[in-house]
Amino acid sequence: MAADREGGARRRSWRAVAYAALGAVLLAGCASMPDSGDLRDVESTPRQDTGVRVFAMPPADGAGPGEIMQGFLEALTSDDPGYDTARKYLTAEAARTWRPERSTTVLANGPTIETDCRPGGREETNSVTCVLAGSQVATVDAQQAYQPADGTYRKKLHLTKDPKSGQWRIDGLPDGVVMGKSDFQRNYTSVGKYYFASDASVGASGQPAAVADPVFVRSKVDAMTELVRSLLKGPTTWLRPVVRSSFPTGTGLQKGVSGLAPDDQNKVTVPLNLKPSRVTPGKCTEMATQMLFTLRNLAPTLDSVELRGTGDDRLCEVNGERAKSVAWHGSSKRPDFLYFLDGKHRMVRMQTGSTGTASAPVPGPLGEAGRGLQSVAVSRDEQTAAGIADEGRTLYVTSLASGGSLGAPLMTSAGTTPDHRLATPSWDARGDLWVADRDPHRPRLFVLEQGAEKPAPVAVPDLSGRIEDVRVAADGARIALVVEKDGKQSLLIGRIQRDDGTGQGISVDGLRSAAPDLEQVSAISWAGDSRLLVVGQEQGGVQQMRYVQVDGSTLDGPAPGALTSVKAVAASEDDRVPLVAYSEDGIVRLPAGAQWQKVDKDGSAPVYPG
Amino acid sequence: MSGDSAASAPGGSGARPGRPVGRTAAGARWRAMFDGGLLEGGVQGSPVLRLLLRWVRRPLLPVMRLWRRNIQLRVVATTLLMSLGVVLLLGFVVIGQVRNGLLDAKVKASQSQATGGFAVAKQKADEAAGGTGAGAGTGAGDGTATGDGRQSQNVIQWMSDLVESLSSGGAGAFDVVTLPVGDDSGGGRSPRGSGNVNPTSSVPAALRERVNSGTSAVQSNTRIVYYGGKDSQPGLVIGKQVNDPNGRPYELYYLFPLTQEEKSLSLVKGTLATAGLFVVVLLGAIAWLVVRQVVTPVRMAAGIAERLSAGRLQERMKVTGEDDIARLGEAFNKMAQNLQGKIQQLEDLSRMQRRFVSDVSHELRTPLTTVRMAADVIHEAREDFDPVTARSAELLADQLDRFESLLADLLEISRFDAGAAALEAEPIDLREVVRRVVSGAEPLAERKGTHVRVLGDQQPVVAEADARRVERILRNLVVNAVEHGEGKDVVVKLAAAGGAVAIAVRDYGVGLKPGEATRVFSRFWRADPARARTTGGTGLGLSIALEDARLHGGWLQAWGEPGGGSQFRLTLPRTADEPLRGSPIPLEPKDSRRNRGLDDAGLPRAGEEKRATVPVQQNGVQPALPPRAEIAPRLTTSTPAADPTALPGNGNGARVVPRPSAGARHPVDGSAAHPAPGAGAGRPDAAVPEDSTEPGEAFRGR
Repeated sequence: MAADREGGARRRSWRAVAYAALGAVLLAGCASMPDSGDLRDVESTPRQDTGVRVFAMPPADGAGPGEIMQGFLEALTSDDPGYDTARKYLTAEAARTWRPERSTTVLANGPTIETDCRPGGREETNSVTCVLAGSQVATVDAQQAYQPADGTYRKKLHLTKDPKSGQWRIDGLPDGVVMGKSDFQRNYTSVGKYYFASDASVGASGQPAAVADPVFVRSKVDAMTELVRSLLKGPTTWLRPVVRSSFPTGTGLQKGVSGLAPDDQNKVTVPLNLKPSRVTPGKCTEMATQMLFTLRNLAPTLDSVELRGTGDDRLCEVNGERAKSVAWHGSSKRPDFLYFLDGKHRMVRMQTGSTGTASAPVPGPLGEAGRGLQSVAVSRDEQTAAGIADEGRTLYVTSLASGGSLGAPLMTSAGTTPDHRLATPSWDARGDLWVADRDPHRPRLFVLEQGAEKPAPVAVPDLSGRIEDVRVAADGARIALVVEKDGKQSLLIGRIQRDDGTGQGISVDGLRSAAPDLEQVSAISWAGDSRLLVVGQEQGGVQQMRYVQVDGSTLDGPAPGALTSVKAVAASEDDRVPLVAYSEDGIVRLPAGAQWQKVDKDGSAPVYPG
Repeated sequence: MSGDSAASAPGGSGARPGRPVGRTAAGARWRAMFDGGLLEGGVQGSPVLRLLLRWVRRPLLPVMRLWRRNIQLRVVATTLLMSLGVVLLLGFVVIGQVRNGLLDAKVKASQSQATGGFAVAKQKADEAAGGTGAGAGTGAGDGTATGDGRQSQNVIQWMSDLVESLSSGGAGAFDVVTLPVGDDSGGGRSPRGSGNVNPTSSVPAALRERVNSGTSAVQSNTRIVYYGGKDSQPGLVIGKQVNDPNGRPYELYYLFPLTQEEKSLSLVKGTLATAGLFVVVLLGAIAWLVVRQVVTPVRMAAGIAERLSAGRLQERMKVTGEDDIARLGEAFNKMAQNLQGKIQQLEDLSRMQRRFVSDVSHELRTPLTTVRMAADVIHEAREDFDPVTARSAELLADQLDRFESLLADLLEISRFDAGAAALEAEPIDLREVVRRVVSGAEPLAERKGTHVRVLGDQQPVVAEADARRVERILRNLVVNAVEHGEGKDVVVKLAAAGGAVAIAVRDYGVGLKPGEATRVFSRFWRADPARARTTGGTGLGLSIALEDARLHGGWLQAWGEPGGGSQFRLTLPRTADEPLRGSPIPLEPKDSRRNRGLDDAGLPRAGEEKRATVPVQQNGVQPALPPRAEIAPRLTTSTPAADPTALPGNGNGARVVPRPSAGARHPVDGSAAHPAPGAGAGRPDAAVPEDSTEPGEAFRGR
């Protein structure tokens, strides 16, 4: 009996020890870092804003003219919404009439003050003239459009000493603000306002194409509201002839609106001064689409935009999906394939998403060997392709479906050398095919509407020089030209003026330089709604590859890695698609976050659709 | 008892001299009664205050009682409190140490970072100062006037660039702020800050003062304030005065938010709080368990002891194991067993003795019968004897009669002791019984010259009773009264009220001395051992009468005062087995000395006939709750009614004093009524503040 009990007790104690050991093992499991577990989404944390902010200070009591000038210039670089602090450096009269929003002048190293900006030593004066000087880089006009500029900047400012208070104040000054380049880059940001191409509709559905109109807004001063105001004001002067805005004339924000920002559902509500009765649903949807595309510049995750009319009535709401069906937007369409010519001058293609190097000939005649293709272009819908063959003499347009025939050449060039014949063609979203004939005797730009009609010459009134290369923007409203003149190739952007029934035909005008500092532009490609990838040389420099904005401003973003002897580049509006270049190593590509990779050693003429 | 004392003089129960009589006493009684009621409640003052106090105390009372009674609760609560204190103390110490450690590490890292930053700033200023001299000549667009390089050096953009480059290395880890020296605010150098820091409010003024007063780096703790809705954070700020390219000083500050340290600290805090909570709960649970292991057997022992004291001697503790508790249980059980054995022994002894008495009585009867027959023969033939022998024969017959009756009484008593007495109750009219008894006692009364009067026999007084036993009781009482009545009248009074009938026998003889009222019922008790027994009483009559009354569930009580006569009252329930609540006749007759005093005072005594009384359970010593201030002083000296031997009896000579006011019944008498009156719940007077809800515990009159 006693032995039994003892045995039971021993069993119990053994069991207790076992439980304790089990618990210890479990606890030990908790006490180390896990090396396996569930999959979880990573929430995107907003990037820390490390930007420097300047906090403007009002003028000190009894400050001299030089200090007043310094303080004023410093206040201009602050993010004071209405430059209220800067105005404190002005006399009351000047503060009332000064219009800082008229323009922004960007100087290379900031304004310097000429030394005679101090009262004369001989006698007490109450009046001093100061001179601001610097080397100009660009100006931003009242429409916030950027314009590269050069030359020196010299402006006179007049200071007086208030007889009553004895304080020096500025009483004469030019409108607008002036600041150095790095201050400008800190304080301003380039954003695209979106309008619709006037008469370019895409595909069978007739969607209007969205055209980006880049402007600069002050990034730290309620940028979103400022951008909305700018959008409502209408397109910039340069782009105005070829685009339309869905907003009726006179549309503005309701009074006192500021601080627009996305809410928790990534939705922005914009109160407009429109009467609901004046707005048709279709129009409203277009307006909201413009607004959505525009605001996505500042808030990439923005999901929808709601417009409100007077009386806080909801006009309409558009989300990303809906907007895609309302307007054709180049950067929202990802190309399926990368096309290029292989060593046998066959047109081949490979999946854009693939990481391998396997390529396959395209179906249809261009994929067959023996055509002697020089360069190709694929339409935006990737149904049709244009090829330059016979060493640049002839242009063929054919379907990318298998079994088609090449047909007769649509165009021929009479140039004497391959460099003087047809350049690489380019498609816009409407389906028009643009091609330049580089014959030095008759340099011309042609357009083949819907890629099938007879080539029509395009008038380029402002052109001086020979068009070397042409890339039409996806929206069909802007065109990038490489123009050769005096042995220099420069990049020009023009707008495409459609035939408005006057019989003049299509013309390209409003040419302006997008990369004034590049002298030898050897290859270009559109890489965004208002961004181009350019390969070129600066004066006395070496070949480099970089992004430029169509308005000529440079972007702060990093340039792609260096590559030598680039003869052609291909990029897509969708920046997830890798860059592709044709260099002395053949076709190479640059996937996001990696180094250049070789794709095909013998290939040439890489293109994405467009 | 208290009732007894209430009627008694201060000297003792029923003491004739010194009885306080008179109107002053009567008036004082009322007052004292009221005051005593209040005093008893322990609350004096306005009723509002009393109500308030009671209202406040009421919810606390159960808690307090639980606290007083529950040792487990006390131990657990104390353990919890103490462990909580220790855990809190420990938490403070640990958190303080962790905080200091974190801060030390952060300060060291921050200092090296900031020192590097200051060096970079100085280097950049030197570069810019040097470069401008050259650049002024080469830079075409610079426009810097060469005449005064110091003044026109463009620091606006330079300083913004500096802040940007310094802060770019530590996004989130630190922020950089520049401030102009002193109040040199308008001189072209506005505050600059990276990462949305508010420069002016993030840098403490005292730090700026120190930085301005020297060229060494200074650090301070601060709260970093941000623009744009970001919450402010505690932070470390290190500042130094640095020169710009123009050689003019400015303040450069590095701000290190202590976000990570704060997070680590709150992690430690959370961990400690959790651990502390667990420890406290654990300690509380341990205390509870331990105390429970000790308290449970103690409680069991307490319960068993209560049951033992209630007479259930066979109860035992359950004993398991061999620990201290088990030893306690064993000792306890042994004690209980010994007690039980002793008590059993005593009971056996007592039973044996009773049996012996009964046997002896029986055994004596047989020879007695023979002796009796012989004595009768002798008695018949006494005329033939000489006078001396004849007298002896008469004496022999007399003493044989006495012997016979003594034997009969002994047998009767032993029957009662053995529990063999059976009640044969049937509805009878007590008047018949009284008449029989009175007529039976008539010869004796005539001999004594006493007239026996019967009162209250106009209506039938019917009760369910054993006529034989009632008659025996009454005969006993009447004969006693006539014998001790000293020739004065004896009054037999009948009454019925409520559920009770009563017969009181009043005489005006020598009465009873204090304390004798209870002792008269003791066996073989004699008021005066020297007194001659003319009627040959056996000394058992009243004992038998008491047993008879008890058998009916009734009371037999005595009252007396020295020289004032005595009154014996028999109270019976109208129906058998019904508990008695009071008696229709007051125990103390209204013609007692004291009552006569009251009568003289002319107090109204209306409705006396209806007055009912509720006797209080006899409780020998119960002076704790004086019903009346008036009687309180007497109480101290008047506890004779509490004859311990008479306790089980319900009629051992107590008295019932009628309430002065008609209507409500007041239990007054201490010795009466066990246990029936207790269960009856006499309603205590409203003036008695402390209401006892436990039945039979204590009735208090006023």
